[in-house]
Amino acid sequence: MVKIYVIDNGGQWTHREWRTLRDIDVETKIIPNTASFDEIFKDSIDGLVLSGGAPRVGLESKLGNCAEYLEKAEFPVLGICAGHQFMAQFFGGEARPSKIPEFGKIELTLLKEEDILFEGVPKRSIVWESHNDEVTKLPEGFELLAESESCKIQAMKHKNRPFYGLQFHPEVEHTEFGEHIFRNFVKICTKK
Amino acid sequence: MFDADKFIEETIPKLKEEIKGKALIAFSGGVDSTVCTALVNKAIGERLVAVHVDTGYMRKDESKEVKKMMEKMGLNFRFIDASKDFYKALKGIEDPEKKRKIIGEKFIRIFEKAAEKENVEYLVQGTIAPDWIESGDSLRDTIKSHHNVGGLPKNMKLTLVEPLRDLYKDEVRKVARKLRLPVSERQPFPGPGLAVRIVGEATPERTKIVREACDIVEKEIENAVEKGLMEKPWQYFAVLLPVKSVGVHGDKRVYGNVIAVREVQSVDAMTCTYSKIPHEVIDRISTRITNTLKEKINRVVYDITNKPPSTVEWE
Repeated sequence: MVKIYVIDNGGQWTHREWRTLRDIDVETKIIPNTASFDEIFKDSIDGLVLSGGAPRVGLESKLGNCAEYLEKAEFPVLGICAGHQFMAQFFGGEARPSKIPEFGKIELTLLKEEDILFEGVPKRSIVWESHNDEVTKLPEGFELLAESESCKIQAMKHKNRPFYGLQFHPEVEHTEFGEHIFRNFVKICTKK
Repeated sequence: MFDADKFIEETIPKLKEEIKGKALIAFSGGVDSTVCTALVNKAIGERLVAVHVDTGYMRKDESKEVKKMMEKMGLNFRFIDASKDFYKALKGIEDPEKKRKIIGEKFIRIFEKAAEKENVEYLVQGTIAPDWIESGDSLRDTIKSHHNVGGLPKNMKLTLVEPLRDLYKDEVRKVARKLRLPVSERQPFPGPGLAVRIVGEATPERTKIVREACDIVEKEIENAVEKGLMEKPWQYFAVLLPVKSVGVHGDKRVYGNVIAVREVQSVDAMTCTYSKIPHEVIDRISTRITNTLKEKINRVVYDITNKPPSTVEWE
């Protein structure tokens, strides 16, 4: 069984990430973001999800031990919302309060449809958002994968390491291809 | 995938292990507490005492129905009418979080009193995932204090048992179907009841108004679903707004309150879309509410917000 843990940064939908993974037969567990990398790594996990959290937490210089995870992880990491914003900052990009925050139903446009994370997802689809902040400058070494009308960096990917960041929430029921995106992430985790 | 059979199989021995003496269950008659009761009943049998509290904020005839159900399930039950107590405690209270906390604490004090009489040490609650997620903790913001989590007082004598903590409503329903419980498809109803469907002070008079409006919405929707006019919404109810507006009744000016009709589609309550219901159905609801509640209500509006940005209930 593939093993992917969810790091809890305090999001409303952290438990939903856990549920989606469990629903697609992944062995999963919610871990507080205060856990050390070694504590998680000793379970020989195949991937990690960094959850969202309260407004502004993704903009701080520290988000629990997320920096340590990003520094040391050789397995795939999927940052969601605050997790995505923190990932961008960690690698030298910028995240700021959104000029136009997005809540609820939004249309996502894929810019790199061929990426494995979005395999089988149409160019335009409905996703659900809930963010006050966003990534405003892509970090070096990352490429842009998707955008929406009000938020230009909806999805990004590290060019050399298996790290992805998503501003929208693939874990909620109303994101059209949410479970599909999780399945693709599981594929990325099993590929190695 | 969530496996209800496996869940039942694993939960019953766990409960046997966890509950050493007698336990009391807070029984509202909704899906969560009924599933919980059935599971605990299987685990400890007669050592379980089910307590239903009529808060005065229940829907039309609800407490009567719950009583019947407790009898039918063969439970060792107590029925407590605390409506006067609750009305008194909420007098003058307008803030939704205060309402929820007062109700949560009131519940616990009633359960504690009952527990003392019965020599009970454990309190079983049908808390599910969205309840504790939205109630907040050291990491998470409080969206609303669910009465069974965020409303719990800090100094509590009873030991909590919450077997459904990791489940969402759709999963609880799966368990309910396996256990063949008649409530498996019942729409969710908040613990604080109609008190959070009255924006502003939840007086007995205003409760009567919203109770009637909720009943009309439920009957009309269920009727329309039966006729095949629409899909059954996840939740469908009325909210009494403190806003007043002008109307005309038989050449006479009236000045009354507004009812908002709320209907949403969801799977797990964590995200919802508002229901796109047929105009003929909403039309009937509007006419019936205004004609039944006359000078009290002369305007009905339909809530067209998703979650997020809004929540299902208004408070």
